[in-house]
Amino acid sequence: MRNKIFILLVLSGCFIASLSSLAPIWFLWDTSWPFWSSYGISSLWGTEWYPFESLFGLLPAIVGSIWVLIIAMGVAIPCGLAAAIVSSEILPASWQNLLRVSMEVLAGIPSVVYGLIGLWVLLPWLQQHLGLLTGHSLLAAGLILSLMILPTIMVMALDALRLVPAEQREAAINLGLDWEQRLYRVLLPQAWPGIRTGMLLGLGRALGETMAVMLVVGSMDRLPQPIYNILEPAQTLTSRIGREMGEASFGSMHFSALLACGLVLALFASLLSLLAHRKSKQAHP
Amino acid sequence: MRLAPSIPNHSPPISETNKPEKVCIEVHKLSLQLSGKPILHDVSFTIPSLGITSLIGPSGAGKSSLLRCLNRLYDDWKGNISMNNTPIKKWHGGADVLRQFVGLIAQKPSVFPVSIAENVTFGLPRQQRQQNQDELIQSCLKQAALWNEVKDRLHTPANTLSLGQQQRLCLARALALKPAILLLDEPTSSLDPLSKELIECSITKLAISMPIICVTHDLDQAARLQGQVVFMCDGKVIETGESHAFFTQPKRIETREFLRWSVCECAED
Repeated sequence: MRNKIFILLVLSGCFIASLSSLAPIWFLWDTSWPFWSSYGISSLWGTEWYPFESLFGLLPAIVGSIWVLIIAMGVAIPCGLAAAIVSSEILPASWQNLLRVSMEVLAGIPSVVYGLIGLWVLLPWLQQHLGLLTGHSLLAAGLILSLMILPTIMVMALDALRLVPAEQREAAINLGLDWEQRLYRVLLPQAWPGIRTGMLLGLGRALGETMAVMLVVGSMDRLPQPIYNILEPAQTLTSRIGREMGEASFGSMHFSALLACGLVLALFASLLSLLAHRKSKQAHP
Repeated sequence: MRLAPSIPNHSPPISETNKPEKVCIEVHKLSLQLSGKPILHDVSFTIPSLGITSLIGPSGAGKSSLLRCLNRLYDDWKGNISMNNTPIKKWHGGADVLRQFVGLIAQKPSVFPVSIAENVTFGLPRQQRQQNQDELIQSCLKQAALWNEVKDRLHTPANTLSLGQQQRLCLARALALKPAILLLDEPTSSLDPLSKELIECSITKLAISMPIICVTHDLDQAARLQGQVVFMCDGKVIETGESHAFFTQPKRIETREFLRWSVCECAED
């Protein structure tokens, strides 16, 4: 009898956990349905977003989110990995711990503080050195985001590298492999699952970050001209939701369109996770 | 009371022509400290250019540390180690090149998470890895007495092998680099009797063409492997000698005590 109750509890827990992973998507789909039923899928490539004229094109924010993500990951992944490699393989243990603690402190700083740092330090710097009007730009948002996700990527990569057994390192040394070969052929392949997890967590944070991005991105609802111009103010899905949700009246089409932005964001994040998982399974079946 | 080990005669006899004459490795006044603790103290001996040299002694005698000095895993030692009259600290190409010249097999087998075939060629330069290495793989696996067990599954992951097979794969992997010297750090300590016998058999065959230094706690194994025996205690070399004479007529009292009781209390010089 006790066994049956235990099994029932475990199964219920499993059911609730599975349900809770789908619940946000279902909630977003349900609440944004009025928008999708009125404007259809074509709103995904609409370029105009003027809620008071009932224009709800999502493309500028989608493009902005993608650019910010590319910049953030493009800066944070190499820097985080390099810091983890240097820390794990070169620095003495005391420096290693110091770097790790400083990264953990960096990870604990609230995002609004990063936004303020962006406003007070990064924007004037970009304004001065790149000749921008205000400094608000996709580049600024990407750089601030990279600073925010750097500790996650670095700490996870460091842990993964430290978990590679000492015997494996020594076996590689005994074969006469130099430092570079040991890194590329033994350490990074074996630490890859942990590094990938760190990258996915960083990606999740980069996609979902609102406050810091909102403060520096410029919130301009138009496509960059040309499309690769990351020095222009722009909009991301999160900054749009964060900025306009307070203005949208509950149940209105504007409200529903913002929830549609949330749904696009959630599906985008899920798609990236699935792709990363698939790639990883191909590499390590 | 522990008796001196019996000496079975399953190793091929060393012929007169194979008798070690040319000195291949020379260790002179080698001293090593790790974290301020003395590990090796004025260690001097020579290793013949062919055959097996067994390093025996109690735990903490410095045997494994000595092996690590020989392939420069430990590099902060004093004294001199020469191989073919070249000091290893001045080895052309540095420590990485030296380590391909001096293969080291660790006590615990450590295979890489790739296929059996890829493990064998793991240490080769990229250009050679990209070429067809079937013959090399076969030859190394045969030398390590593993070919018959894995010839039908060369492309399966190496970590599916048993511990004994993994150790033999490590031997094959080291042999693929065509080392001139082989260092073995208790290669059979955690293996079953059959794997132990197979590895001993491989080592004995390999010793016909290269010098092999084998650290072992197993005195019977040292006797079976024949060749030279170096007895170490507290970071010093106490006695060296040809295997049969060493086990039957040890010269030093410390050696006799160790062979009898497996303990060693070194007299202070």
